[in-house]
Amino acid sequence: MRSRIRGLAPTPILAGFLLTGAALAVLPLVLELSIYTHNLMTLTFLSVAGALAWNWMGGFLGQVSFGHAATFGVGGFVAARIVLWAPVPAPLAWLVGGLVAGVFALGAHPALRLRGPYFSIATIGLGEATRLLFTYWEDFTGGSSGLSLPIETALKHRLYWWGLGLVVLVTAASWLIRRSGLGLQLLAIKADVDAAADLGVSATFYQDLMIALSGAVVGVTGGMWASYFSFIEPNDMFGFDRSIGFVLMAVIGGVGTVLGPLLGAVVFVLLRQYLLASYPQLYLGVYGLLLIFIILFEPLGLTGLLRRLWQRLSALRGKV
Amino acid sequence: MERFIDLALSAVLLAGLYATMAYGLGIIYGVLRVVNLAHGGVIMMGAYMGWVLHRKLGVDPYLSIPIVVAASYLLGVAMYRVLVRHLPRGAAGGPASLLLLFGFWLVLRNGAYLLFTGDDQSITTAWSTSSVVVLGSQLSVSRLAVLAIGSVIPVGLHLFLHRTHLGRAIRAVAQNPDSCTLVGVDVERIYGITFGIGTALAGVAGLLSATLFAFNPGSGSSELLKSFVVVVLGGMGSVPGTGLAALILAVVEVFAILVLPSYLTSAVGFVMLVLVLVIRPGGLFGHRVLG
Repeated sequence: MRSRIRGLAPTPILAGFLLTGAALAVLPLVLELSIYTHNLMTLTFLSVAGALAWNWMGGFLGQVSFGHAATFGVGGFVAARIVLWAPVPAPLAWLVGGLVAGVFALGAHPALRLRGPYFSIATIGLGEATRLLFTYWEDFTGGSSGLSLPIETALKHRLYWWGLGLVVLVTAASWLIRRSGLGLQLLAIKADVDAAADLGVSATFYQDLMIALSGAVVGVTGGMWASYFSFIEPNDMFGFDRSIGFVLMAVIGGVGTVLGPLLGAVVFVLLRQYLLASYPQLYLGVYGLLLIFIILFEPLGLTGLLRRLWQRLSALRGKV
Repeated sequence: MERFIDLALSAVLLAGLYATMAYGLGIIYGVLRVVNLAHGGVIMMGAYMGWVLHRKLGVDPYLSIPIVVAASYLLGVAMYRVLVRHLPRGAAGGPASLLLLFGFWLVLRNGAYLLFTGDDQSITTAWSTSSVVVLGSQLSVSRLAVLAIGSVIPVGLHLFLHRTHLGRAIRAVAQNPDSCTLVGVDVERIYGITFGIGTALAGVAGLLSATLFAFNPGSGSSELLKSFVVVVLGGMGSVPGTGLAALILAVVEVFAILVLPSYLTSAVGFVMLVLVLVIRPGGLFGHRVLG
């Protein structure tokens, strides 16, 4: 077990990751990207960061959350309120939004006593209760008519690099978490909470830590989202569909793997873009079928498929 | 005082519906240890089945109950055979079964959007608007009918589980599937039948709620959550406990109107769910289900 975890990050993957990051960073400077592509990539970065952070809870700890939209919305609205209230630089507002969202996520602490499906269903309840409360709190969120922010085209353009930077940071963090002793402790908690406790791993502490970190990152993406669209509305920001989005991205890519959610988020965003443009009437069903097929045939999603392909290739090479 | 009686009566009437919804989720959990996340989707399907039978074929919603029961039962057996049977059992299967059944729910929703569009629908019959006076309150006939059916179902279910051979087999499997295999009970068959019974109950609940409330392909999530509150509160699998828990939820929801703005009353169920799970995860009367 130990060697498998330690061996998860071989040098070629690390090099490939850094190269891809650098290439993406200079891409808009070298190539004349259309505004559509530029914006689509920005949104993809935000989704990737959110999916990776969801995976800290849902994958590393095995606590599948159907309520992450709550932290996304809190981060988004706190950041938006700060921008409207004082002339602070947007990144500072995102950061504060993320911190508040992280603290807010700790509100789910009592639910951490629950395991498996109970935790998941409690998160549906928490997420929906949060949505209703914030929709009702019109002084803060503007209610159903939402909040409008000043439109800043330059900031929207720069969000590409902010988003990419966040992705690099969160990916690196995923890697470090997985490879460190912390990752092993999380694995132990995921495998058996009681056994982990017997060995002196404080499940409650690590669960709180991960729920706060995960919520904070998702909150930061919520803040960036608000700056990007210059308009946010509680029923969208806190919506159940958004919570489901995080789950889908991680499941498609491979729950619990380091890079899976990254892949899954890219596929999810592109697929959504394509489906909404061409077959909006089949949008939900395609995701439903994808979930069913992944769970039945390849629980590790795209990562699992790639691993199988890799093994097949290595076997072939071995024969030759 | 009059208002109090009004609210109390409407809570009682609502409780029958909640109980029916919850039995469907509870029996599947009790026997298979799987939370049927597609429960809300099946409820929505039941509503549309009743709506189609009424609108296109002119069948009275109460007469279409057997048809809806049979169709939902077959759907449930098929869900078990095609999907649920292939999941890993026990704790490891928890998240997998949730995601799988959630995927099925999305497919159901998409199917309903394609077939019926996203418009709100409801089943209105000749007596939808008629009412009778009980204890000085106006009570709608369809609500009374829903309560009547919602009271017959648990009694029938209780008798079925305790007096018939099949019912005893189901309870035995819920207690210990391995010993059942030893004494010659076909556990796989029992699982399929139980899943079918659970979805049949969900289908009927959908049909009943369609005679009271509007629905669309997206509905089902609040029904799922309410069912879950009731099941947890009632202590998984106990028929009388579930009935009482349904009454508690209905009372709390209905009386919340007095102190909360109407917008927030729908959050009451969610908050109760979390509180119950955290404070009394074993339900008010039942055994602990944690861990």
